[in-house]
Amino acid sequence: MLEILHEYGLMLLIGEYPHGKLGGLALTLIISFVSLFATFPCSVVIALARTSQVTWLQKLATGFVHSVRAIPLLMLIFWAYFALPMLIGFPIDATVTLVVAIVIYQTAYLGEIIAAGINGLPKGQVEAAKALGLGYVPTTFRVILPQALFNVIPGIINQLTTIIKESSLGSIIAVSELSYVMLQVNSNEVTKPLQIFGILAATYFILCFCLSQATNWLERRIANKRTGRFFVEALA
Amino acid sequence: MIEFDKVSKWFGAVKVLTSVSASVAKGSTVVLCGPSGSGKSTLARTVNRLEPIQEGTITIDGHDIHATGVDVNKLRTGIGFVFQQFNLFPHLTVLENVMLPLQRIRSYSRKDAAPLAMEMLSRVGLAEKAKSLPADISGGQSQRVAIARSLILNPGVLILDEPTSALDPEMVGEVLKLLRRLSEDGMTMMCVTHEMGFAREVSDRIWFLKKGELRFDDEPTAFFSSDAPSEVRSFLSAVNRTH
Repeated sequence: MLEILHEYGLMLLIGEYPHGKLGGLALTLIISFVSLFATFPCSVVIALARTSQVTWLQKLATGFVHSVRAIPLLMLIFWAYFALPMLIGFPIDATVTLVVAIVIYQTAYLGEIIAAGINGLPKGQVEAAKALGLGYVPTTFRVILPQALFNVIPGIINQLTTIIKESSLGSIIAVSELSYVMLQVNSNEVTKPLQIFGILAATYFILCFCLSQATNWLERRIANKRTGRFFVEALA
Repeated sequence: MIEFDKVSKWFGAVKVLTSVSASVAKGSTVVLCGPSGSGKSTLARTVNRLEPIQEGTITIDGHDIHATGVDVNKLRTGIGFVFQQFNLFPHLTVLENVMLPLQRIRSYSRKDAAPLAMEMLSRVGLAEKAKSLPADISGGQSQRVAIARSLILNPGVLILDEPTSALDPEMVGEVLKLLRRLSEDGMTMMCVTHEMGFAREVSDRIWFLKKGELRFDDEPTAFFSSDAPSEVRSFLSAVNRTH
């Protein structure tokens, strides 16, 4: 195992870079973080629509969430990779395809988490904002979202671990992220699948385990100090 | 002046207000009392349209609050409303809670809003808590902040929905003292409360509701006299037993 790490360690970390495209763990992390950052605003929009008083908006968002949750991500990737270029008439980069598919898919899930955060706020908060004469925009951005998003920070980080794992599907459309790189290593070193995929599993495990530990720590912190000093420090 | 004219309201099939007609004179304090489920809180909440009504009219200074074209947010800025559970925004400091309406409704900058909010906090005796978070102050202090926040836009009317019911007994006094001062300063107030001592000393009129009907509307002396209707007397003896 150490042999493989010695020989392919750099490839595992950055792919063929600087002689070729950036890949490996670095690309996995870039795909994951870019996906999360792009998913976040989309999810807020979906969550606001889901909790909206405007019926058609609520129905539209609900339809989106239910449709996306009823299909596998892999199918979404196939659609984006094979079908979309035919529809729009020009090819799309595989990495971009993967990110777009993850963003669409995760928007449904993260949107539900944020909507739960909004629904979980005491009714009195919205009533107080209404009674002060605050309109929809200040109520949403000054009263509801700061509280709801703070409460769902653990859920957001949790989705990051899911995204990291989902990014491995990129190997199917030749995105040279971590799994793809290790598949290539496996084709070079045909006789050592146990070691190679052991390293792959361990890398994902360490990454996701650290994140889930961070989530647990944050959850405790938020439960303890939901309304305490930590609130302002975290938002400042 | 607030006028209720034959106001009725249903929650689904349940009628919670039945043809309530009464008025609150400018600068006067009206206490609303009655047994649980009598509709007193609901009636208070109709004034700033937190609760819609199905029949009748409510006018403030002659203007129908349900007339077409009435901007409900603008209407609400003219009516201070204080909740039983304070409903302070927990992620904002005490000062920021009071500043928020100035910044978001009157478009004041933070710099311009802060001294006005500080002045209001001084009026309720909490200037030194300006930088605290709601979680770090007591219930009585929270309610005083909520009152400061509801007064920051200089509303003509202040509605209070059981402002002391969620407080520990030793904190009730500080809130009532503040309300008494506001009443003496000529604020038009409608206060839902079970504090009969406050009702007797501070209010100009007492409304007694039962089963959604306004059964009694008179001065405190009449309310507490032995000539009061029997349902008022039995309500008072029930309240006295628990206080």
